[in-house]
Amino acid sequence: MRGYIGKILWVDLTSGRIEEEIIPDRIYENFLSGVGLGAYILYRDIPANADPLGPDNILGFVSGLLTGTGSVNTGRWMAVARSPLTGGWGDANCGGYLSPAIKQCGYDGIFFKGQAEKPVYLFVDSKGAELRPAGHLWGLDAVAAEEALKAETHTRKRAAVAVIGTAAEKLSLISGIVTDGGRIAARSGIGAVMGSKRLKGVVLAGVKAVGGLDRAASKAVSKELSTKVRKQNLPKWVPGGLISLLGTVMSKMKTAAPLDGMVLAMMMKRWGTVANNGMGVTSGDSPIKNWAGSVVDFKHSSYSRLEPDRVVRRETRKYHCYECVLGCGGLTDIKDIGRGEFAVTHKPEYETCAAFGGLLLNRDLDAIFYINELLNRAGMDSISAGGTVAFAIECYEKGLLTPEMTGGLELRWGDVRAITALVKLMIAREGVGDLLADGVKTAARKLGAGAEAYAVHAGGQEPGMHDSRMDPLLGVHFSADPTPGRHTIGSGQYYDTMQLWEKVSWAPRSGSYEKAGEYVPSEKTALKTVASSCYKELTDGAGGCLFGMILGVNHWKLFEWLNAATGWGKTPDEYMEIGRRIQTLRQMFNLKHGVDPASLIMHKRMAGDPPLTEGPLKGKTVPIEEMVRLHWKAYGWDENSGAPTVETLAALGLDELLVQEARS
Amino acid sequence: MSGKGLAAVNYGECMACGSCVQFCPFGYLELGKTGLDDFKKEYPRLVDGHRCTGCGICAEHCTVECIEMA
Repeated sequence: MRGYIGKILWVDLTSGRIEEEIIPDRIYENFLSGVGLGAYILYRDIPANADPLGPDNILGFVSGLLTGTGSVNTGRWMAVARSPLTGGWGDANCGGYLSPAIKQCGYDGIFFKGQAEKPVYLFVDSKGAELRPAGHLWGLDAVAAEEALKAETHTRKRAAVAVIGTAAEKLSLISGIVTDGGRIAARSGIGAVMGSKRLKGVVLAGVKAVGGLDRAASKAVSKELSTKVRKQNLPKWVPGGLISLLGTVMSKMKTAAPLDGMVLAMMMKRWGTVANNGMGVTSGDSPIKNWAGSVVDFKHSSYSRLEPDRVVRRETRKYHCYECVLGCGGLTDIKDIGRGEFAVTHKPEYETCAAFGGLLLNRDLDAIFYINELLNRAGMDSISAGGTVAFAIECYEKGLLTPEMTGGLELRWGDVRAITALVKLMIAREGVGDLLADGVKTAARKLGAGAEAYAVHAGGQEPGMHDSRMDPLLGVHFSADPTPGRHTIGSGQYYDTMQLWEKVSWAPRSGSYEKAGEYVPSEKTALKTVASSCYKELTDGAGGCLFGMILGVNHWKLFEWLNAATGWGKTPDEYMEIGRRIQTLRQMFNLKHGVDPASLIMHKRMAGDPPLTEGPLKGKTVPIEEMVRLHWKAYGWDENSGAPTVETLAALGLDELLVQEARS
Repeated sequence: MSGKGLAAVNYGECMACGSCVQFCPFGYLELGKTGLDDFKKEYPRLVDGHRCTGCGICAEHCTVECIEMA
């Protein structure tokens, strides 16, 4: 075994036919598994301009190549489909336990096509796969549906389950796919694709063998990392508030230098992603008031209410995802919130805290816990939901949404009763919630009257809660990635901690540098963004976790694990070519489906047009069009259109794939 | 793969990632309170009423090698 199984499962929901496809070794060697295998299959098999919510779209659940091989922080799975939110390439990944379970069923991926007439779920174990009726589960929230499926299938081995909640059933374009009691593969509106296929869930209970070529070699590298991580602990006396102070200091510094990723490991272990709750505001990283405000609008008296120590005070259990050495996850007790409607919720992530905190000028942390559980159960993306609520409040403020349209709901910044009520309406698709349930781009188009000015998105996707005016390289990824608006692809900060130049010959070295230089388009910054995104695609093909990735190549040794699992003996430069190939194929997917790469460039506000007049990002503007053009060129794509050149396609061997596709 | 003993977890080394639980083919392992918990974590333990068969698959999949087939 070389990490991958060599087989995928096809499920035709229209006919009910289930069959296997053998995938040749050369496909894995060119695309890995995960997002790469997904891109290969979907590019090959989805007809041009197929309706994302129609039977011709394909939804895939794909495991990472390294999952189960003895490496660590490589247990993530990837959902792939044509996105109904952006119209282009769609993917969303998630941790938990689904990735190994896909392989334990004997497949690298499970792909669905067609549309079921009535709700169904797929059950797979080591003996085979079958579609079963799910009419009795339709209408259940994601947590209830998962529990019902586990009880109903009653497998000896603990089954891994992925389901949709009610948001995806109602085809909300900001819905996701839910696992492990509320963890979501949230982005790209991937849940709506599953809902459109009337596929309520997937239950995986196989016990087949999984592994790579040299497990001992993989484990030796893993042990080295886990030993380091175990020793990295912040002193107990360090409060979360001190981290916020660090953000203030950072915002005033004119220079930056690469941090060792182990600093991040300490914070992830202690608090999880909420470590950034206060620091994000003080440093300028967290967008405030629908990207039009700053820490001046959301002062210490507000952001201190969301400090990481306050979040973990409710934590009753810390947990790790499969194969993870960091353990940023947690379960929290929320029985005393509201009317005790929910007993427990996953610890809200930083993204959720920021999207329902500073972005809405809300300082009520309890409300964020409650909304977190509402969204997890509904299966709605909390980043997009928060961004859409911010859009709605600003439209109300500007008179584009009226009390008549909101059913009397007065939408004000920081008003948690109104915010919570609006979230409930969006989940139920009732009243004004129906207008907003598909995200800001659709809502602005329906509202008209200049609402686009307040609809902050990139290519239809509401952006992650990190400010591109603070990190211009992040702005390039927001604008140039085939899945736009993603904070997870790369940034200047990630680039510095990943330290790719230690292993990749062409990745520019990042020493101490003037921050102002990042705002000037250059070939060097373009090479940085290309290297970041190539490495991220490689990571997503391997099933890697972003938080492992940003520990840096000298700690989280992706190249070494890939060689140990596959025996390919490739150099880091050769692996980076795989990343470039995957990314280029994702770009080709967008072109095939009529998405103009230039249309993905982020909203003007995100580039500082007009610039903020107060706070740490005062006066910052990002020359995003020029930076994106240089990024395209450094990728070997046409600098004017963003289309990969004939020479680049040939160099990556993608021309052959395109010819095959044209013949079929 | 095919040990004869029982799975013994070295909790000083265990990261509580649950890989062993995921790969126990019999469903005899679970994450739960062990009395040794650090930072509110739950660690692998045998489900009440079951005995380890000694197959060794959990140890094979433990990335930090903290399971021994005693």
